[in-house]
Amino acid sequence: MDKGDMVPTPGVSSDTPGFDAVVVGAGPAGSAAALALARAGRSVVLVERGPFPGSKNVYGGVVYGRVLDEVVPEWWNEVPVERWVVRRSTMMMTGSQSVSVDYRSAAWGEVPYNGMTTLRSRFDNWLATKAVEAGAQLVTSTVATGLLRDAHGRIVGVRTDRDRGELRANVVVACDGVNSFLAKEAGLMPPAEASHHTLGVKEVLDLPGHVIDERFGLRRSEGVDIEMLGCTRGIPGGGFLYTNSDTVSLGVVLSLPHLAEAKVRPEELIADLKNHPSVAPYLRGATLREYAAHLIPEGGYDTMPTMVTDGMLVAGDAAAMTLAAGLWLEGVNFAIGSGLAAGRAVDRAIAAGDCSAKGLASYRSDLEGQFVLADHKRFRKAPALVLSERIQQRYPGLICDLVDGMFTVTNPVPKPGGVRLTRSVAAKHGVKLRQLAADTVRALKVFG
Amino acid sequence: MDDIGSGPMVVACIRITDLRPQIEPLSGTVVREPWSTGLSPADAAALEYSFRIAEAWSGHVVVITAAPSSADAVLRDARALGATVLRIAGGSPSSDQAYVDELGSDERGMAGMIVAALAPLGRPSLVVCGDRSSDRGTGALPAFLAHELGAAQALGLVAITTTDQESMVVAERRLDGGWRERLHVPCPAVCSVEGAGVRLRRASLTATLAAQRTEIPQVTAAGGPGTTRGADPVGPAEVVVGPVRPFRPRTRAVPAPDSDDPRLRLLTLTGALVAHDPPTVVGPIDAAGAADALLAFLIRHGYLDTEPVGEEAATEVEW
Repeated sequence: MDKGDMVPTPGVSSDTPGFDAVVVGAGPAGSAAALALARAGRSVVLVERGPFPGSKNVYGGVVYGRVLDEVVPEWWNEVPVERWVVRRSTMMMTGSQSVSVDYRSAAWGEVPYNGMTTLRSRFDNWLATKAVEAGAQLVTSTVATGLLRDAHGRIVGVRTDRDRGELRANVVVACDGVNSFLAKEAGLMPPAEASHHTLGVKEVLDLPGHVIDERFGLRRSEGVDIEMLGCTRGIPGGGFLYTNSDTVSLGVVLSLPHLAEAKVRPEELIADLKNHPSVAPYLRGATLREYAAHLIPEGGYDTMPTMVTDGMLVAGDAAAMTLAAGLWLEGVNFAIGSGLAAGRAVDRAIAAGDCSAKGLASYRSDLEGQFVLADHKRFRKAPALVLSERIQQRYPGLICDLVDGMFTVTNPVPKPGGVRLTRSVAAKHGVKLRQLAADTVRALKVFG
Repeated sequence: MDDIGSGPMVVACIRITDLRPQIEPLSGTVVREPWSTGLSPADAAALEYSFRIAEAWSGHVVVITAAPSSADAVLRDARALGATVLRIAGGSPSSDQAYVDELGSDERGMAGMIVAALAPLGRPSLVVCGDRSSDRGTGALPAFLAHELGAAQALGLVAITTTDQESMVVAERRLDGGWRERLHVPCPAVCSVEGAGVRLRRASLTATLAAQRTEIPQVTAAGGPGTTRGADPVGPAEVVVGPVRPFRPRTRAVPAPDSDDPRLRLLTLTGALVAHDPPTVVGPIDAAGAADALLAFLIRHGYLDTEPVGEEAATEVEW
């Protein structure tokens, strides 16, 4: 942003409400930030544009609750969980084949649990309620329309779409999502790059709980998380299926520029997935309850915006804190972790009387020292690898054909040897063995 | 309890309920979530009309609802708009769900409870409700309220406006064929309004923040049918329906065909072989121009006798 853009906000009266912090967006990051601030005894307002927290959020995934340990003791007794994920399956697919790596852990279904499926309208509201109980003020149905600046260009609050809607604060915490208007206005977010984003689309399908139990091999509170590769007609991305109490979330995540190039409607891909022979039996008789779509910031560590400026910091999706590293697909835990770190950093800055970028700099170092940025940094090359052409378009078919060749009985023709089979299948899919080896080494480097 | 303002009391009697309930497909059980409670469009319209009328009368608004504590957020919004709010809580705090289930089952009893709760605040000049709630509501509560209060009633309205007299409001109600009737409603009265035509005002941010720090006054459910009726012994004044009558298409005399040949008579009657006006594109034009074009067409083809002139004629056409 040019210095010239940083002009004082006209008409900011001195009697506008003053708070220690304004948090914009009552998603997981915003509520966690407000909670941390309120618990530190700071006055904080949590501004949410929806009629209630979670009313507009879209998430099809698993929430990993370890980060909640420092938020609510024994949170598992009260969190609005759908099912505890005890099965994690990764499925490589072609149009008619699939190979699954399926892991099941009984320990994941017991205290302290690992991951859970949850519905965001319930989960977000639960977390926001914790912030309110701690002393934060939640204002819903209110849109933060811009930043307030003082004569020096420093951010001193936000403007909302309500009458007399200016909120002055020492620090603004922008948790306003993937397309953060506040971060853009503050000059923290670079121009949007389509290749750094994916489009997640999902359907929530009604299916009785006991039917889910039977079809997925679960007991009542147990859930399954199936991640799929090779189900998107060659568009970089993947599919997912999660079991909720009485519904199943099914969807695809698609590279934005490739989706545009392919000129395919995302709902067609979901229809493909629902009709796939490995998925259709799970969903027989299910009826559509909801359809939703949302942008996901999957660019990773190298595409994160500047996180701090004078009087403001960003967290959650606004800071591109979604880990899309192939095997690991996490977001809510990173949002909560960054929100808590933001709240702590603001508290420290206020205590030190320095809410400049320098005073707030501990936010970044705090994130670097914990999983939020450490994981992103470790897997910073993963998005490019996972979305690469061979991983997306060749390997699922290669693996399926390899397994097919191994297990298809071709009597009286003798079984092929492993090397010969691999060579022939790789050649069929246009993959050279040295490319296979190179990708293996690359994967080891990325995930090692 | 809040300090009650001076001037006539306008009561917004609203139902606060889950706007996105889940229905169990097999059992039909309604599953409500406390965090997605809100106002239906009809209840929001009732609240907005209450404020408009209270402003015109220099009166004050009282918002009353029977609901568990999950309704407090909505009541705080109403308080931020300047209303006095009151919640009728269930007798047992541990059974909010049962209380909500019970609310829709006895609307006459509910009317008695509401009137009993309002009694300490004085006699309302006007009570405005939504025409139906989105949660099993039958729309009968306003009529029971009118009965309990001994007030006039005008239900299913699309607009309420004030007159020079504080003892009267003018209301509009839909009729078939896009027509409306105008009602002169004597006060005290109970009106119910559709969720259309108005948008609920928003409170300022400062008022919203201030309202969040306040407790919502509540009374425990009590009363019942007829327990607190303060009806006038002579009964409520009658609602007067205005001079506008429902739309009745006028018959048009068609001269008998002048021929002995049945085929020719049929052709004459149907106009099958007569050249018709070709389709005419008259747009894009503004609304007034479009209205003029339509009126000219109707006059040209005998559906209107004379060409309307000026505002009076336009009003006549509208009504």
